[in-house]
Amino acid sequence: MVFVYLCICNLYTSFIMKKSLVILLGVIGVVVLLFLWGVSVNNRLVTHDEAVSKAWSQVENVYQRRADLIPQLVNTVKGAANFEKSTFTEVVEARAKATSVNIDANNLSEQNVAAFQKAQDNLTSALGRALTVTVERYPELAATQAFRDLQTQLEGTENRIAVERRNFNEAVNAYNTTIRRFPTSLLAGMLGFDKKGYFTASEGADKPVQVEFDF
Amino acid sequence: MHCRKTVSIWHIPSRMFCLWLAVAFFMSPAWLWGQAEWTPPKSDRLVNDYSHVLSDGQRSQLEQRLVDFNDSTSNQIVVVITPTLHHDDINAVGQRIGQQWGVGQSEWNNGLVIIIKSKTEDEPDGEVAIATGYGLEGALPDIFCRRIIDDEMIPHLAEGDYYEAIDAALDVILPVAAGEYSYSQYVKDGRRSALITLLIALLLIGVPLFFFIRYARKHGGDHWFTGTGGPFIGGFGGGTGHGGFGGGSFGGGGFGGFGGGSFGGGGASGRF
Repeated sequence: MVFVYLCICNLYTSFIMKKSLVILLGVIGVVVLLFLWGVSVNNRLVTHDEAVSKAWSQVENVYQRRADLIPQLVNTVKGAANFEKSTFTEVVEARAKATSVNIDANNLSEQNVAAFQKAQDNLTSALGRALTVTVERYPELAATQAFRDLQTQLEGTENRIAVERRNFNEAVNAYNTTIRRFPTSLLAGMLGFDKKGYFTASEGADKPVQVEFDF
Repeated sequence: MHCRKTVSIWHIPSRMFCLWLAVAFFMSPAWLWGQAEWTPPKSDRLVNDYSHVLSDGQRSQLEQRLVDFNDSTSNQIVVVITPTLHHDDINAVGQRIGQQWGVGQSEWNNGLVIIIKSKTEDEPDGEVAIATGYGLEGALPDIFCRRIIDDEMIPHLAEGDYYEAIDAALDVILPVAAGEYSYSQYVKDGRRSALITLLIALLLIGVPLFFFIRYARKHGGDHWFTGTGGPFIGGFGGGTGHGGFGGGSFGGGGFGGFGGGSFGGGGASGRF
């Protein structure tokens, strides 16, 4: 600012006024253009960032929906005669672990998303195993309407999880592509827009887990 | 795609470029997710029988029923019968059809996809799924969809009667789906048909009057009304708003295209 002020003073007093004026205006023009470009880059990144946050909240919603269904499932099977509670011990533990991994929507780094995914995928496989065991060992329980309804709800939840994970990956893809493209990449780091993590296709993650059985 | 084997100065860069392209391709997220995402191409029909298990008559009967339903309630129901799912999950394929075709209106997401994987020699497992748009998840919860599949569809599908299975499912789905949207649609339709009524009334009254006045002028006497035809036409037209025409008989043919509804994975599936 001081420099600009001095330049302006200089302009009025100097004899080579015209030449300095042209240079000064050029510099100011470039600075203004750079500033405007920075603003537009920032706004675009904010839009993408918000889309990712929104998609993430949907992901959390559907996982929460599943976490909410598990106590109902446990209650249903507990009521059945001679049912071994140990069948669902693993599920209850995996659920506790999965619900304890909470990630701030502002910090969706690759490690954080991977940790979240790992905890949730553990719950997915524990749930799949427990349901398989239940159907095999307790066919009369598995045939009840209450159990089948829960199965249907869990299946629907897994479908929704698959959809929201894909939507999230698409939002992250759009965001990551934007921050890594030149020349936006020059500014993205300075403005604090870091790369975000994807859900990866671990075993069975590309398809909703089959929690449906033929009777 | 091919790198030319020349000794030009471009040789090395072009090979680098090809390599880079290959790396870029394999690092792309679509590959990372590893999803075999097959979706049938968007159709302009509501009933799509790629397995040819419906007769022409059955197909057009179902189509007409769904077009009528679309016209009266704006709910869009798509039926897809396919001989293969390309080893994908039937719920996922149903959801993608709904989302990518844009089944249902974008304001209400009131779309529904019934997808049946028919039994074939190569893939002897029959599968069926109902995918609900976001807006129909409340009217048709997953458990309800499952009951429709188990009780209405699978008994018929097991016998190979695809038409009956779809028809029986629609018997349950249509009234339920209509309940949630009929009111807003009713309001919208009411406003539109009032405007159409007014236009028709104007035409019916105005045109004969116009000719009558022309006739009167030509055949001339000096009747009192010949000079003031214009104002009279306007006056008559404005006064006849409630003619009782309309009736919404517009667009009786095909359905008007998909409305851009969204699907979030709701619904259920079964095997037969």
